[in-house]
Amino acid sequence: MSELILYLVISPFAAALLAYAFGKIDKQIAFWISEILTLSLFIAVLYLFFHYTNPISVDINWFKFGHFSIPIGLYIDHLSMVMLLIVSGLGFLDIHYSHDYMAEDPHQPRYYGYMLFFIGGMILLVSAKQLSGLFTGWELMGLASYLLISFWHEQKAPADSGVSAFLYTKAGDIFLFASLGLLFYYAGTLNMVTIDHLATSGKISSHVSFVVAIFILIAALGKSGQFPFFPWLLRAMEGPTTVSALIHGATMVNSGIYIVARLFGFYAAGDALIVVASIAALGVFVGATSALVQSEMKRVLAYSTMSHLALAFVGLGVGSLAAGMMHLSNHAIFKALLFLGAGAVMLSTNDTKDMWRFGGLKKPLFLVAIFMAMGALSLGGIPPFSGYFSKDAIFATTIATNHGDIITALTLIGGLLSIAYITRMWILIFAGKPRDIELFNAVKTPSKFWISLPLGIMAVATLVLGFFQKDLADYIISAKYIEPHITHMMPVILGAIISLAGIMYYFYYLRLDLVKKLIAQPLIKSIHNILLNGYYVERFITWFTHNIMVDFLAKVVTYIDIHLLDAVIDGTNDASHVVFNRLSKTNTKKSGDYTGGVIFLVGLVILTVMIGARA
Amino acid sequence: MIYLLTIFLPMLLAGYIYLFTRRIGGAKYIALALFVALFIEAWLTYTNLLPSGYTMLGSYLDVKRFDFVLTLQVDRFSVIMLLLVSVLLIFVTLTSWSVKHQSAYFSLLIFFAGPIFGLFMSTNLLWFFIFWELTLIPIYFLIGIWGDKQRIFAAMKFFIYTHLASMLMLLAFFLLYKQSTTFDMTQIKEGALTTPALIWWLLFIAFAIKMPLFPFHTWLPIAHVEAPAPVSSLLAGVLLKMGAYGMIRLVVLMLPHQAQKYDYIILILGLATLFYAAFMALYTTHIKKMVAYSSISHMGLVAIAISALSFSGLSSALFEMIGHALIISILFVIAGIFHEKTGSWQMGDMGGIMQKAPYLATLFVIGGLAALGLPSTIGFIGELSVLISAIMAHGVWLAVIAAASLLSAGYFIWAFRRVIYGKQSKVVALTNFAIHPVVFGALAIFAILVIAFGIFPQFLFSGIDRAFDTYHLLGGLA
Repeated sequence: MSELILYLVISPFAAALLAYAFGKIDKQIAFWISEILTLSLFIAVLYLFFHYTNPISVDINWFKFGHFSIPIGLYIDHLSMVMLLIVSGLGFLDIHYSHDYMAEDPHQPRYYGYMLFFIGGMILLVSAKQLSGLFTGWELMGLASYLLISFWHEQKAPADSGVSAFLYTKAGDIFLFASLGLLFYYAGTLNMVTIDHLATSGKISSHVSFVVAIFILIAALGKSGQFPFFPWLLRAMEGPTTVSALIHGATMVNSGIYIVARLFGFYAAGDALIVVASIAALGVFVGATSALVQSEMKRVLAYSTMSHLALAFVGLGVGSLAAGMMHLSNHAIFKALLFLGAGAVMLSTNDTKDMWRFGGLKKPLFLVAIFMAMGALSLGGIPPFSGYFSKDAIFATTIATNHGDIITALTLIGGLLSIAYITRMWILIFAGKPRDIELFNAVKTPSKFWISLPLGIMAVATLVLGFFQKDLADYIISAKYIEPHITHMMPVILGAIISLAGIMYYFYYLRLDLVKKLIAQPLIKSIHNILLNGYYVERFITWFTHNIMVDFLAKVVTYIDIHLLDAVIDGTNDASHVVFNRLSKTNTKKSGDYTGGVIFLVGLVILTVMIGARA
Repeated sequence: MIYLLTIFLPMLLAGYIYLFTRRIGGAKYIALALFVALFIEAWLTYTNLLPSGYTMLGSYLDVKRFDFVLTLQVDRFSVIMLLLVSVLLIFVTLTSWSVKHQSAYFSLLIFFAGPIFGLFMSTNLLWFFIFWELTLIPIYFLIGIWGDKQRIFAAMKFFIYTHLASMLMLLAFFLLYKQSTTFDMTQIKEGALTTPALIWWLLFIAFAIKMPLFPFHTWLPIAHVEAPAPVSSLLAGVLLKMGAYGMIRLVVLMLPHQAQKYDYIILILGLATLFYAAFMALYTTHIKKMVAYSSISHMGLVAIAISALSFSGLSSALFEMIGHALIISILFVIAGIFHEKTGSWQMGDMGGIMQKAPYLATLFVIGGLAALGLPSTIGFIGELSVLISAIMAHGVWLAVIAAASLLSAGYFIWAFRRVIYGKQSKVVALTNFAIHPVVFGALAIFAILVIAFGIFPQFLFSGIDRAFDTYHLLGGLA
C-alpha cells in the first residue's frame, strides 16, 4: 500500500520530465505518456479505494536542523481519498480531452509537462501528513498554475494574468507559511491529524487556534479564489480551457476547502468556523450576482466557481463537514464538465468566448449541448442531479444552525441564483437563432472520441452520483459533526429554481431585445457595470498595490536610501576635501595636501594602541 | 605544510602566472585546476576532521612577542566555508570562461584564493585581519578593471567602506589582545575581558558592514552592479559570507554573553535589512540592482537566524548562507548575460527572452523561484528553518518574516514578466543570446544543486548540524 502511495506522489513528477524531454522528439509521445500515467494514477487510486481499511500512513524524515526535525510524511484517509479520486479521475479525462484541444499547439511537451507537474503537486497536497508536505504541494501547484495560465506567454494578457495569479495567491500563502512556524511553536508538530486532536482536546488554547485558523483561512481563500482574492481566478481564464477546467474549476481551487476540512476540529475548537461562514456567504453572493451579467462564458463559469466554492465553505462554516465536502466533489465534476463543454464550443468556433456571438449552436453541437445541459442542471440544483443534494444540505444546515440572517440570506440568494446565470448561459450559447451567421456557418463538429466522450462520462457521473449522496456523506463524515439534512427543502428550492429559470427563459429566449433595453437604463446600467467588474475589487487591489506599496512605500524607502543613507557615505568624500583643504591652508602654504600626514597620524594612533596592548 | 602552501603559493604565483600566460593564454585552465585541487583539499580536510572541536593543521612563523603566530586550525564550520568558497571559485572561473584580458583576470582570481583560504583556516586574529585585507586587493582590481561604466567609483567606494570595517575590527583585535594577551581566537575567554561590550560593538559593526546589514549596506548595490557578473557572484557568494562567518565566529561564539545581551540588535537589524532591501528591490527597474537588493534581503535572513543564538539558529544560518550563495550566483551571472547581450540594464528594455533563449531564461526562473522561497528549492528550506529557529528563540511575532516572501515574490514575478515573458522587445528581437557552453553548464549545475538540496536538504544539514553541536553556548543555550 505505502509503495502505491509513493508511486502516486512521485510518478507524476518523473513523468512530467519524461513528457517534456521525449515530447521534443514527437509531440504525440508527450500526450501518450501523460494519458497512460494519469490512467495508471486513476487505477491506482481506485485500487486504494476498494482495498482501504484503515488510514494509510508513510513516515518520511525530510530534514533535521539543530534540535528540530521536519518530516514530510504521507497520510491517506477518507478525506484524502475523495480528493484523490477527483484529481486522478478528472485529471485523466482532462488529459484525454487535451489531445484534440491542444492538437494545434506547437508547445505540447511543455503543456503536458506542466499538467503532470500540477497533478503531482495536487496529489502531494491531498496526501500530505504534515503541513510541511501540504505547503510544498500547495506551492508547487501554485507554480504550475502560474506557468499554465501564462502558457501562451508571448502574448500580453496571459503573461499578465499569470503574474496576478501568482501574487494574489502568494498574498494568502504567506499566512500559511507563517502558520507553519506558529503551529511548530504552539503544537510542537506539523502533523495535521495531531494538531486537530490537540486542539479538540484543549491542548492548544482556543485563542491560538482562532488566530492560526484565520491565518490558514486567508491562505485558503486566496487559493480557492474567494472574496477578496477572486480577481486572479477571473484572469486565470486566459490560460488554455483544459487548464481552467482542471486547475481553476475542479481541483486546485478546492485545496482551500480541503485544508479547512482537514483541520476541521481545529477550526471548531478555535471558534473560527463562523468567520469561515461569514466571508464565504459574501463570496456566494458576490460570485453569483457577478456571474449573471458576464458576456464571456469562461467568466461566467469562473464567477460561478467562486460562488460554488464559497457555498462549500459555508457548508463547512456552518459545521457540516459532509455537506461542504459533498458540494466540493459534486462541483468538481459538473464544473469540469461545463468548462470542457465551453472549451468544445470554443474549439468549434475558432476560439470565440463572447456568448453574444453564439446562439442556436445546439444543432451543430448537439452532444455538447446535451452534456452541458446536464452539467447546468446539476449546477443549478435540479434533482436528481448530484448538485441538488449537496446544495440542499448546505442550505438546510445553514438555516438550521442560524448564524445570523445575513449569512443565511446571502447564501440562499447566491446559491439559488446559480440556476439563473447558468440558464442564461446555456440559452445564449445553444438556443434561439444564430446571432453571428458567419461564425455559425464555420462551426466544426468536435471529435466524438477525444472531446465528447470525456464530457459524456462526466455528465453521467454527475447524474449517477446524485443517487449515492448518502453514501458519500457517510464516507466523509465522522459522527460528531452535524449531519447534513438531505432533501429537506425540496419544495422551496424547486419553486425558486423553476421561477428563476422561467424568468431567464423569458428574457434571454423570448425577449432578448428587452434585456438590451433594460441594460441601457442608467440605474440598471451602473449596477450592471459594478457586477460586470466584479464589484471593482480588482481595481481597488491594483490601485492599492501599485500606489501604496510600490509608488509610495518602496519609493520612500528608495528615496531614503539614496538621499540619506548613501548621501551620508558619499558625503564623507566632500567632507574630507573640505577638512584637508582647510588643514593645508592654515598650517602651511607650501604643501597642498596633508592627506598623507593624517594617514600617518592614524597609523601612529593604532601603533600606540598596539604598544599599549603589550603592556 | 600543504596548507601553508595553499595560502601563499597562489599569492606568490599569481604574478608569474600572469607573465607566463599573457602571451600563450590558458590562465583559465590553470585557475580551474587550482580551484578543483583546492576543493579536493577542502574535502579531504573535511573527511579527516576530528569528531569535535578544532583540528590542528600547523603553526608557523612564531613571533612570540606579539603572539604573531600563523596558527592554522579548522573546525567543521570553517571547512564547510572552505568547501563553499572553492565551489564558488570553480563556478566563477567557469562563468568567466570568455572574459577579456584572461591572464590578468584569472591571476587575480588565483591571488584571491590564497587569502580567502587563509582567512577561514587561521585562528590567529592578526593573521585573520591580514587575510581579510588581502582579499580586498584582487576584488578591487576585478571591479575596477572589468567593471561597467562607473567601475572606478564603485571599486573605491567598496574598498574604502569595507576598509573602514576592517579598521574597527583591527581595533577590536588590539583590545582583545590587550585584555587577554593572546591573538588566538580559540584561547580568548569572554569572562577575562574588561570591556567586552566595546569589543562586541566594534566587531558587530565591522561584520555588519561586510554582510551587509541595514544601514551599512550602501556600498553593496553599486559594487555589485558595476562588477562583472561572475565577480558579483564572488562578492555575494564569498565576501558577504566572510561577514556572516565573522558574525558567527567572533561576535556570537567568541562573545556569547555579550551576544545574548544584544541579540535584539542583531535581530532588529536583520529584520530591517530583510524588509528594507525587499522594498528597494520592488521599486528598482534595474535588473542587477534588483538581484543585489534581493541578495541583501536574504542576508537579513541570515542575521535573523544568527540572532536566535541557538544550535538550530546557527545551523539554519549556515544553510541559508549556502543556499544564498548558490541562488544569487545564478541570478547575478544571468542578469549580467542579459545586460551584456541587450546592452541595457533596464528590465523595461527586455521582454520575451523566453522565446529567444528558453534554456537560459528557464535557469533565471529557477534562480528567481528559489530566491522567493518556493518549496523544493534550497531557498525554501533556508526560509523555513530560519522562520522556525527565529520563532522558537524570540517568540511568535517573528512570523512576520513570512511577509518578506510576498515582497520577494512581487519583485521576482514582475521581473519574469518584464524580462522573460511577454512580447519580444525591439532589442531582444535583434539580440543573439548564444553563450559559451561552459558558462551554461556551470549555471545548469548550480540550478540542479539548488533543486537537489531543496528536495534532499538533509545531505547538507547532516554536515552543518555537526558543525555546531560541539558548541554549548552559555551552557544552557539549546
